[in-house]
Amino acid sequence: MELEFTDIRVERGSFFIRGSGAFAPGIHLVSGRVGSGKTTLAMIAAGLGQPDSGSINRHGINSVMLSMQFPEQHLTGSTLESEIASWHLHPAPVLALAGLSGRERDDPFSLSRGELKRLHLACIFSHRFDLLILDEPFSALDCREKITTADWIGRIRGGITIIFTHENQHLPRVDYLWEIQEGVLVFLGSVPDALGRWKNKPAVISRLHKRGIFPENVSTKDILEAACRMQD
Amino acid sequence: MQDARLRLFAVVILSVAAFLSMTGAIAAFFWWMIFTQGIRTIAKSPFALFFLGFTASVSALVWLSGGDGFSYLVRMAVILLLAFYAYSDRAPGEFLDLSVWFFGRKIGFDIGLAAEMSLQGMEVLSDEMKRIRVAFRLKEMKFGLRSIVPAAGLLIYSQFVRAEEQADLLAIRGYRGGGMVCPEFKGGKGDLLAFAFAILPLILVFIPLGDIFILLH
Repeated sequence: MELEFTDIRVERGSFFIRGSGAFAPGIHLVSGRVGSGKTTLAMIAAGLGQPDSGSINRHGINSVMLSMQFPEQHLTGSTLESEIASWHLHPAPVLALAGLSGRERDDPFSLSRGELKRLHLACIFSHRFDLLILDEPFSALDCREKITTADWIGRIRGGITIIFTHENQHLPRVDYLWEIQEGVLVFLGSVPDALGRWKNKPAVISRLHKRGIFPENVSTKDILEAACRMQD
Repeated sequence: MQDARLRLFAVVILSVAAFLSMTGAIAAFFWWMIFTQGIRTIAKSPFALFFLGFTASVSALVWLSGGDGFSYLVRMAVILLLAFYAYSDRAPGEFLDLSVWFFGRKIGFDIGLAAEMSLQGMEVLSDEMKRIRVAFRLKEMKFGLRSIVPAAGLLIYSQFVRAEEQADLLAIRGYRGGGMVCPEFKGGKGDLLAFAFAILPLILVFIPLGDIFILLH
């Protein structure tokens, strides 16, 4: 199973993004600043957008899902129950997972964006996909929810999961690291080796590296563990 | 046409000419073909096909009820083409400049601001529509008549949220009505020529083509 980008390029006025690379099974973190082209790449990876040049090949991928940044953009139901049903799921377990039990008949628009995001992610994580693309999965969530979401992502087994995000505090354990550097998608390698090559790495990882301490991964747990080693 | 003022005047004159007679509409259509990017202006305008289709349906109804549906179709289609051209050629902030230039910094600023916000809203709507279609595709649902209710709900909701956020922003920045803008307009090489030719269809409406030749004799 593999998703392959071959010399893709997208240009819109002064904005451009280009890159090549292959996404193998595992969890990939694509890091980049706001406006660096993450959503454009996510849409292309999901087959919902086309690059101006280059090609995308999917090998052995039969099911694809894209989680868009704003959860309301996924809404097609007029109640939480019907919204969950539109994902071909039973409401009760999904609502429980999202912490919204007993609100089956509520209007989705009566939820806050954070609650809506939780509901949307609960629907997404209740399925298994060969290729799961998460565009800013931590947006609209508070710190606690970010940690929970990172935990959910970390538990995904099988398939290719690609996280496009500018979040750099609460991240899940990932297998591979990519970075958008001045309009170019760069594969940094497997974690933890790739952490040293990460240009815009989280400040806390930078500080740890400066002190000669190298976390095993990018999750909060790994960073805390490394920080404890520093205190020892 | 680069100069927004000339473009606006040209579009108004041509629209009046197209509305008043078939001759005016045909002449305006030729102007549209010669002085604009033609068919590409339609591609840049959201919902263009919807509006053209709606006009065609109304024309068919007029024709079925014994009216001159064909004339209605031609005149309205040309007006729509001109509107798509005006929309596709505009630059952000241009309406604010135009409005302040016309009506001053008090009422002109308010009208311009409202126009700019509405136009931005249209772009957001177009973008939202694309995302809604993506959501339906992702859920393997067909986007049809039954999708109108959830899609419309989302569009209305997003517009309300946006309106509220913009109102908050304006309030935070101390907006109470009116504002400072120094309008600037770029001029293009062929602007005056295109504008001069935009007057011709209106002349043709009031002076029949045959009479022009008699006058020339």
